[in-house]
Amino acid sequence: MKNVNIVIVDDSPFQIALLRDLLTENGFNVVGEASSLEETIEVVTNTKPDLVTMDMTIPGTDGFECTREIHKINPNIKVIIVSSMMDDEIVRKARKMRVSGYAQKPVDAEELTLLIDRVMADEELFSELDGLYSAVFKEALLDVFNKLTKTIPEITNENNENVEKVSKGISIVMGVIGKYSGRIIFDASFETAQKMSQSLLKREPKNNEEVLNVMSEIANMAAGNACSMINKKNKIFGLRVAPPTTFHGESINISKAELEIIYSANAKTQFGDLSISIGFGRGEGEWMSII
Amino acid sequence: MDVNYINPIISSFASVMPQLGLPAVEKKGISLKGRFIESPGVVIIVGIIGDIKGNVIYGLSLEDAKTIASTMMMGMPVDNFDELAQSAISELTNMITATVATNFSKEDININISTPTLVHGKFTANASSDKVVCVQMGVGNMSIDVNISMEKNTI
Repeated sequence: MKNVNIVIVDDSPFQIALLRDLLTENGFNVVGEASSLEETIEVVTNTKPDLVTMDMTIPGTDGFECTREIHKINPNIKVIIVSSMMDDEIVRKARKMRVSGYAQKPVDAEELTLLIDRVMADEELFSELDGLYSAVFKEALLDVFNKLTKTIPEITNENNENVEKVSKGISIVMGVIGKYSGRIIFDASFETAQKMSQSLLKREPKNNEEVLNVMSEIANMAAGNACSMINKKNKIFGLRVAPPTTFHGESINISKAELEIIYSANAKTQFGDLSISIGFGRGEGEWMSII
Repeated sequence: MDVNYINPIISSFASVMPQLGLPAVEKKGISLKGRFIESPGVVIIVGIIGDIKGNVIYGLSLEDAKTIASTMMMGMPVDNFDELAQSAISELTNMITATVATNFSKEDININISTPTLVHGKFTANASSDKVVCVQMGVGNMSIDVNISMEKNTI
């Protein structure tokens, strides 16, 4: 693991001295310290730390306000609350604020080191997923198409926007569960789905249900293959796909979801356009504490 | 289906809804449906994987969704079912399903849940299982359909 640069935010010079010694002795780089909101903004902006240890009670502000400001500077900076105060209310709020972990004072050196290591390892793992999932999903989709139709669609309009989507007629939604959870959406017009079904079944589809079924199977295969490929790269991901739910109708609006990374693209197939959207969030699994 | 899905859902509603300012929770009815679920306006899918797998498909009317979102946001008026209101309703189903998962774990059934997907408009949802149990929950004078499409996970 790379060197971890840490900023300590605490209003007590005594606590800062204790934490600085503890962190330095355990191989972390303490790159700065702050004891007010203004200092926090200044020090974090200047030193660009990987992680901040955050006290809850700071005169004129609190740990949550400081965390918000840190994430405005860079949302990827990890914040661990190190505080003597601890109750359900704070923990609930902390999770909402995207705080990565919690340690109660007085802090045990070994436990805090382990907590920081785990938070940073998690960050590396999520970056790993971020670096590979879009290419893997694209590959899986092209592969499924190639095997089924002997044609390779052209991928266009690749983007990472998290926005509401309006369906062209048929949408297939699948939840993804594992180390990180997320969702996968396939979308096509009814006409495209019908042409695709006809080609794969080598006959007219009997009814609309059969068309929906073909689409949901294609989506399921592509999603399942993609998740298996990701799990092969690193088995810690342990991704699995929930059974597909298919939507069809005259107006289908799929709202944007609480996802941190999103990849959307359009596959131009010989039957028409098929759009895919895949996203992951860190979910509940990320929360760590040594209370 | 040899697992009783109903009670963990009812007790989840009873514990989650009052925390959000929606105290009057009651079970209004249980029915068995086929795989097609007509949208009452707003539908939220939460995927489930573990000892059992499937989806929980929540359905409610647009008006009820707006009222619940408004209550969750301390009475803030919700005229349009906008991004903020959609996010509140998604979060609600996330909390309810997570509590259902906790309730299941007490029975030694372990499940994990996916990110919720909220869909609104005029459409039909087609569940993966051909037998769907629908628990209709009353929340004040509003109602939420909880459609459960599950199968035992044999993998």
